[in-house]
Amino acid sequence: MITAEQLRKAARGETQSIELICQQLWEPLYGFIYYRVQNREEAEDITQETFVRTLIYCRRHNTQPENITAFMKMVALNIIRDSWRQKQRQGKLIDLEDIKPLETVAADEQKAIAERMQVENALNRLKPEHKAVLDLRIMKGYSVAETAQMLGKSEAAVRVLQYRALQVLAQMLDEND
Amino acid sequence: MDDKENILSEYIDALNREQKPNRGYVEEPELARLCETVRRVRSLKEQAMPEEGYAQRLAKEVAVKLAHNRDKGLDEKGDIGLKKRNRTEQRRFARPGWLVPAAAILAACVVIFAVLVSRPSLFHTDVALAMQQAVGQLSSYHGVLEMRTHNEAGQEWLVRRVEIWSQGDKYAVKQHDGTLTVNNGQQKWQVRPQEQEVALLPVLHDPVRQGFDLRDEAERALSYPHQVVGSELVAGRQASKMQISPPGGLEYYLWIDKETNLPLQLQTAMQNALQTTYTFASFEANAQIDPVIFDYRVPPGFKVVDADPGQFVNTVEEAVEISGFDPLLPQKAPFRILAFDRRIVFDYGDTTIVETVARGAFQPAANAALGTAAGGPLEVLRDKLRWRQYGIEIEISGPERVTLASQIAPDLALPEVNQQLVDQAEVKVEVDMDIVRADQQQVDRGSSPWQLDPLQVSLTFVNLKVSPQGIVGEPKIGPESFTLAINNGIEAIVEVSQGPISRVYLQRLMRQDETGIWSVVGYDPR
Repeated sequence: MITAEQLRKAARGETQSIELICQQLWEPLYGFIYYRVQNREEAEDITQETFVRTLIYCRRHNTQPENITAFMKMVALNIIRDSWRQKQRQGKLIDLEDIKPLETVAADEQKAIAERMQVENALNRLKPEHKAVLDLRIMKGYSVAETAQMLGKSEAAVRVLQYRALQVLAQMLDEND
Repeated sequence: MDDKENILSEYIDALNREQKPNRGYVEEPELARLCETVRRVRSLKEQAMPEEGYAQRLAKEVAVKLAHNRDKGLDEKGDIGLKKRNRTEQRRFARPGWLVPAAAILAACVVIFAVLVSRPSLFHTDVALAMQQAVGQLSSYHGVLEMRTHNEAGQEWLVRRVEIWSQGDKYAVKQHDGTLTVNNGQQKWQVRPQEQEVALLPVLHDPVRQGFDLRDEAERALSYPHQVVGSELVAGRQASKMQISPPGGLEYYLWIDKETNLPLQLQTAMQNALQTTYTFASFEANAQIDPVIFDYRVPPGFKVVDADPGQFVNTVEEAVEISGFDPLLPQKAPFRILAFDRRIVFDYGDTTIVETVARGAFQPAANAALGTAAGGPLEVLRDKLRWRQYGIEIEISGPERVTLASQIAPDLALPEVNQQLVDQAEVKVEVDMDIVRADQQQVDRGSSPWQLDPLQVSLTFVNLKVSPQGIVGEPKIGPESFTLAINNGIEAIVEVSQGPISRVYLQRLMRQDETGIWSVVGYDPR
C-alpha cells in the first residue's frame, strides 16, 4: 500500500520513494499495458512513461490521487491513445475505429474473456493449414523459415498463407463482433 | 510477393521478438485490421515479463527523467513522447542463465496445479452443477435487481434498482424512473412515462439481457475454474460465495442461494476503476407472470419514436455495448444514461453531457470564445462547452458544465477575459460608437449577421484597406488567409497570412456575448 507521503516524496524526486513505488506498482500496470500492445518493449516504455507522467502530475498539482493504481491505468491508457494520435498528426491514416479501440482498451474484463473465447472458437473453425500456420507463427513464435520447413512450403508461401489465414480469422471475428 | 504480406510478416516477427513494431502498417486499413487480429490471437498467450531487475531499472530511469523534467521546467503536457530507453544499458541487467530452467519448472508446476484445481470434476462441482440444473428448470421469474457500481476508491458511483419479469426468451425491466423496457422475442421497445413516448428499439444487440443473465452466469461458472470460498448472507438468504477465475482474466464472484441453488448476487472484477455488484433483493422462481406485460401496446396519449431513438440504460457497460465506444466519465454519476449508436448522453437534470465519436475536423463556431481542453481548442458558447478528447467530441450544456468538464479534462482552461489584447495593436483604429450602435441594431434585426464573426469582420476590414473604393467580386485576400488566433469572447486577434496587415485586433464594444458584433480596434502592419 502506497501512502500519500511516499507518493509526495517520490513526486519530489526522492529516489528511495521512487524505488518503493516502482517496486510495488509496476507489475499490474505492466500487465494492463501489455494486454493492449502485445510486446514487451512497448509495454516497458509505456510503463516507464506512465510513472514519469504520474509523478510529474502529482508534483505540479501538489496532489496524491486516492487510488494510485487506477489513476496510473488511466494515464497509461492515455499514453497508448496519444501514441496513436501522434501518428495521425504525422499524416498516417489511423482510424481509431479501424484499430478497434474497444478491444484495445478492453475495459470490460468479461468482454476480454468473451473475446478470448471468440478467438479460440474462431481458430478452431479455421482450415487445418490456416490454423497450423497461425499456431506456429503467432502462438509458438517460429520464424517464417522455421515454419516453412515444418510445413514443407517455401517462405513466400508461408507469408501468403498466414496473410490469408488472418483475413479469414478477421472475417470470422468481425461476424462475431 | 505483395508488400502487405511482407509487412504483416514483419509485424508478427516484431511481436515474437517482443519488440515494438513499425507502425507503418497502419497506413493501410486492411493491414491494421489484420495486425489487430494478430494481437487478438496473441492475447491467448502468456504475457512476456520484463527481465530480472526491471523494477530497479525502472525506478532509476524514472528518477532521471523526473530530474531532467524539473531541470528543464517541463510540465506533463510538454513531455508526451515515448522516449526509447537505452537498450545497451538494459543488456547489463540480463537474467542469469540458470534462472531460465528454474523459472520454467516453477511455471510448469503452477500450470499443472492450475489445471488440476480448475477441473470441475475434481473440485466444487456440486454447487456449480446444482446451480446449472436449478437454472435449467427455471421457466420464469420475477425479481428486484439492485445494481451498485463502485469506483476503486470505494465510493458508490451509480445505484440502480430495477424490477424484472422473465419468461423464456421474453423479459421486461422497469427502471427506477418508471421506464419500462420490454423484449418479447419479436419486438423490443421502451415505454417512457416522463417523455410520454414509446421508443422502438433494435431487438439485437441487447445488452440489457446480458447484464446479469442467470443462464449465462451458470454456464460461465461451470466452464471456468471456480471454487467455493465461503458462505454469506445475501438479501436475507444464506448463500455460497463462489470465486470464478477466467483464464488470463481477473477473478469475480457469484453468490448462490443455498436453498434454491439459484444465483443471488454477482460481483464483477474491477474494470477501469469501476466494479458492479448485481443483487437480487427479491426473487420469485417460476412466478406466474401476466402475459399482458409482454404485449406491445402504446399507452393512450403516448407517441411512438422510431429513428435511432436511443435507449435508457442502467450501466456504462450497457451504454458502451450500444454506442460502440468507451465514453469519458466525470467523477459525478449522472441521473440517467441514454445510449445511441456512436453517441451517449449523460443526464444530470439541469446539465447534460453528450459524447459522440468525433468525425472530421473540429470547427469551433465563428461567434464562440475559445479556451483550451485536452490540449486542443475549447468552444465556449453561452451555457455550452464543446471540445475533442481521445477521438470523442464532448458537449456539455447547463449550469454544472465547467465542473463536469474539468472532471473529464483536468487541463480545461476557459478564455482569459482580462488580457487587454487590443492594447498590443501597433496601429489603433478610431471607432465611431454611433455607427457601432447602428450596426448592432441592424444585426439584431437580422441583417448583416457576418458582423458576429471576427473572421468575416477582419476580412472586410483588410480588403477595404487593399481596395479602399470597395470590394467588387471576390475579395483580393481570401478567407483562407485569415486565422482566429485568440477569442476570449470580448477581444479577439485574427492573423492574416498575406497583404499589408499581419494582425487584426477586434472588440465586442456594444455587448459581450454571442449576439454582440465585432469591431476592428487596431492592427499590425506587415
